[in-house]
Amino acid sequence: MKIVVFIKQVPDNTKLKFDESGPVRDGVPMMMNPYDEYALETALRLKEKAGGDSTVTVLTLGAPSAKEIVKKAISYGADDAFLLSDESLQDGDSSANSFALAQAVKTLVPDFHVLVFGQQSLDDAAGQTGPKLAEWLNLPSLTFCKNAELEGETLKVVRETERGIETHAMTLPGVVCMMKCDYELRGSNIKGVMRANKTEIPLKSAADIGVASDKAGVSGSTTTVTKTWQRPPKSGGVIVDGSEPAVAVQKLVDYLKETKVL
Amino acid sequence: MQAASLPLEQYTGVWVVADLVDGVLSDTSQELLTPARQLADQLGQSVSMVILAAPGVDSAALQECVGAAGADQLIVIQHDLLAQYQTELYTRALSGLVLERHPNIVLFPASSMGRDYAPRVSVRTGGSLASAATDLALAEDGKTLRATKACFAEALFASVESPTARPQMVTVRGRAFEKPQAQAGKSATLDVITPTLSADIARTQLLEVVKPEVKGGKKLEEAEIVVSGGRGLKAAENFSLVEDLAGVLGAAVGASRAVVDAGWRPHSEQVGQTGKTVAPKVYVALGIHGAIQHLVGMNGSQCIIAINSNPDAPIFKVADFGIVGDVFQVVPELTKTLKEQNLALSL
Repeated sequence: MKIVVFIKQVPDNTKLKFDESGPVRDGVPMMMNPYDEYALETALRLKEKAGGDSTVTVLTLGAPSAKEIVKKAISYGADDAFLLSDESLQDGDSSANSFALAQAVKTLVPDFHVLVFGQQSLDDAAGQTGPKLAEWLNLPSLTFCKNAELEGETLKVVRETERGIETHAMTLPGVVCMMKCDYELRGSNIKGVMRANKTEIPLKSAADIGVASDKAGVSGSTTTVTKTWQRPPKSGGVIVDGSEPAVAVQKLVDYLKETKVL
Repeated sequence: MQAASLPLEQYTGVWVVADLVDGVLSDTSQELLTPARQLADQLGQSVSMVILAAPGVDSAALQECVGAAGADQLIVIQHDLLAQYQTELYTRALSGLVLERHPNIVLFPASSMGRDYAPRVSVRTGGSLASAATDLALAEDGKTLRATKACFAEALFASVESPTARPQMVTVRGRAFEKPQAQAGKSATLDVITPTLSADIARTQLLEVVKPEVKGGKKLEEAEIVVSGGRGLKAAENFSLVEDLAGVLGAAVGASRAVVDAGWRPHSEQVGQTGKTVAPKVYVALGIHGAIQHLVGMNGSQCIIAINSNPDAPIFKVADFGIVGDVFQVVPELTKTLKEQNLALSL
């Protein structure tokens, strides 16, 4: 079985700083998008269960520095990887990015069975790339997934939605977008790291995957960000000592009455 | 930028595509009629509420309800195969109508349904899509929709616009808008559409749904008050403190990542980066330290109350009211006081 996992490099939000024009990316450590860690884990579990000559291929779209997370994925057990890195592919929205990734998977891994995404990225938080790619490639898709296991010819997928815990059967090939799963994430080991260091990660351009310039990056986008601003920091919070619970609670009740919450 | 296939002025009308769950419009679907009406009035266009359902849905009752809430028209896309949500069938049915009638703006609740199929509909119809918006307005030109959304783990807000692609689609978060006031005597016209669908369009099949156990009938994302517990509660059984307070307040129960990872609470209750984002009127954090991964899931709340024994806990930096004290003493006292004084939160 051929499994492709899509991962994205994002800034570590716990170390992110901002100025008037938006996030300052210089010097901020980058990491694999948290949901993509679950996507990768799901892909590796699918491969292990399917056995035989099953493979996990990593696809990422980003700057050359995204090699770091690709190496990490390989050290965890992914077999090979492609990095789409081309100036014309940069700064696209999820329409342009999903189109480029759709073209990439069609060109580079045409005999795929399962495509695994993280539910959404930390920086953009849109959750659009997976279902949009499914639409470009006319594939079934499921979002908000918590588990995906091969059962015979179909994929048994568990989702968590407002309706409850849903179990679906998906005809393959298909797309699943993973949220936080119940299983433990694996780490890398020495052997994996050594293998990752030796693995060649081919860089692919828009031309390599057949993305014309009018469909790439900003030209291929349908939306544009016209302005960004920071959430104003909270100030003026009231903090009281709680060593005498009854007194503290009365102060809280008074506060709630004063601010008309009670 | 990708361009629309027709001249932009030929796209007209503001649609709200509702989540209909067991015959009932979700709260967020109703809330969306508020910005829809406002945008439509500014644009001089009409508001349509769109529902996908199987035959037998009580259209007359819905027609009255959405009419009173400000919609000009109720469109029911009706087919046996739309009895329950399925990604590809809903995508096909809705896209077909969008391509035929070319609305200007299409709003969806940012629910697990809207966020599942809106991306596909936007690709199929050539529209744009902004996700999980917290506000909607027209740009300076008085024509283009401007959606506000949070990004970078809620630290940053962005204005998203679509200069040339149509329709302009947006999924909108729950509780971003108030529900419209019902206006007696206002009514909506009814338009029932029967799309051409066949069962083989669906390549996923729903086998089973296990309904969530919702204590007090409150869903985390829709609740006006949320009471959450963290590691400061020390053991799973001590979550009764959280549940008791939530019970008195009529609140939903939330949890920090630490206690979900420890297996004390289900992931469905997790608030934060890899859990749910909530913005209730009141958020009560009990024994929660306030790691950034938690804060990003709740710092949009109107009033934040924190009780924690560590005065340096970052939760106090975002709290409107904090008590530095022992949760095991302060929380029971608070629950008791609210119960005794019969103090209901005036929401």
